[in-house]
Amino acid sequence: MRLRRQFGTAAALALAAALLVASGTPARAQVLNSAASPIALRAVLSQSLTVTLSGNAVNFNLVSGSANNPGSTSITATTSWILQTPVAIVSLYAFFANAGSALTDGAGDNIPSADFQISDNGGAFTALTNTVPFGGANAGLTLGQTLILLNNRGSRTDVMKFNITLSPLPNLPAGDYTGTLTIQAQAI
Amino acid sequence: MKTGRLIRVVAVMLGMACVASMASAQALNSGAQTIALNANLTESLTVALSASAVNFTLAAGSATNAGSTNITATTTWALKASRTAVAVDAYFASAAAALTDGAGDNIPSSAFFIADNGGASTALINTVAFGAANAGLQLANVPITAANRSGTRADVMAFNINLTGGTLPQLPAATYTGTLNIQAQATP
Repeated sequence: MRLRRQFGTAAALALAAALLVASGTPARAQVLNSAASPIALRAVLSQSLTVTLSGNAVNFNLVSGSANNPGSTSITATTSWILQTPVAIVSLYAFFANAGSALTDGAGDNIPSADFQISDNGGAFTALTNTVPFGGANAGLTLGQTLILLNNRGSRTDVMKFNITLSPLPNLPAGDYTGTLTIQAQAI
Repeated sequence: MKTGRLIRVVAVMLGMACVASMASAQALNSGAQTIALNANLTESLTVALSASAVNFTLAAGSATNAGSTNITATTTWALKASRTAVAVDAYFASAAAALTDGAGDNIPSSAFFIADNGGASTALINTVAFGAANAGLQLANVPITAANRSGTRADVMAFNINLTGGTLPQLPAATYTGTLNIQAQATP
């Protein structure tokens, strides 16, 4: 009887221990990780090349046959660039769409680009008679070129003065002549 | 020695980088910036005289009373394309009293003659664009074409007063004064 009681006690202790072990298992389990999901990051600082103008209109009071008909104001073109290539040439161009009719009265009377002149940064007045990457053939002028060498961020300014010579056009009729001069830069 | 070699190597590498960069570069263009051009060639029409006074020493009843000097009228114009003619007129404000002594004795315009550029001497008896009826003379009428929208002409005027007509042989001795006008007109 006493032996049976002692056996029962031992069995009870064994059962309690088993339950204790079983109840403690979750607290010591291994962490479960998912697979890593990579995100590719790509930051691009784009190349840029911009031209800004200090004004967008120039007026001329023409005198028949006169070589000197200056524009009412000068205009500053500021060219700014951020380039990817360490070596480049930035060129600034002025041009018309058509060499034969830079300005026109709309009635068939024209002032050609050859009689439109720009003085860049105090230089000599030069007619727009060259073919440049933009505009009409023989209707442009390269205002300036800047060599980029290991410094691919920068800017340049070009102060443009304007003149129309009517010496080659002594019979130009009186009238209002309008036109559009375009300024554009190219990096290559 | 090592430094010099290093410099040469760097220079060659830099040159190769430049060539590679230039060769592979694509042109980068800025946006086109425009400048509106407005040029006004105003119409003009002017007459300039080489002198502004002529004296006559009159002989009673004489057909030939020449002016003391010739006067050159220089007409200069810059015209719109729509103009077709430029006229130069000489005229008085009154046909009956081209010159007057202020006491009711007058020399009519019909007794006043102009020889233009060596032509025949002609009385001012026509109605022109300016002045009184029958008190003028058109010195010139220049057709305007694309070839002469800007131009000039000279009219050398020689003057004479003819005192043989009507009651003029009885013109009293006195000082007669008057104003001859020269004016140009572009039409239409």
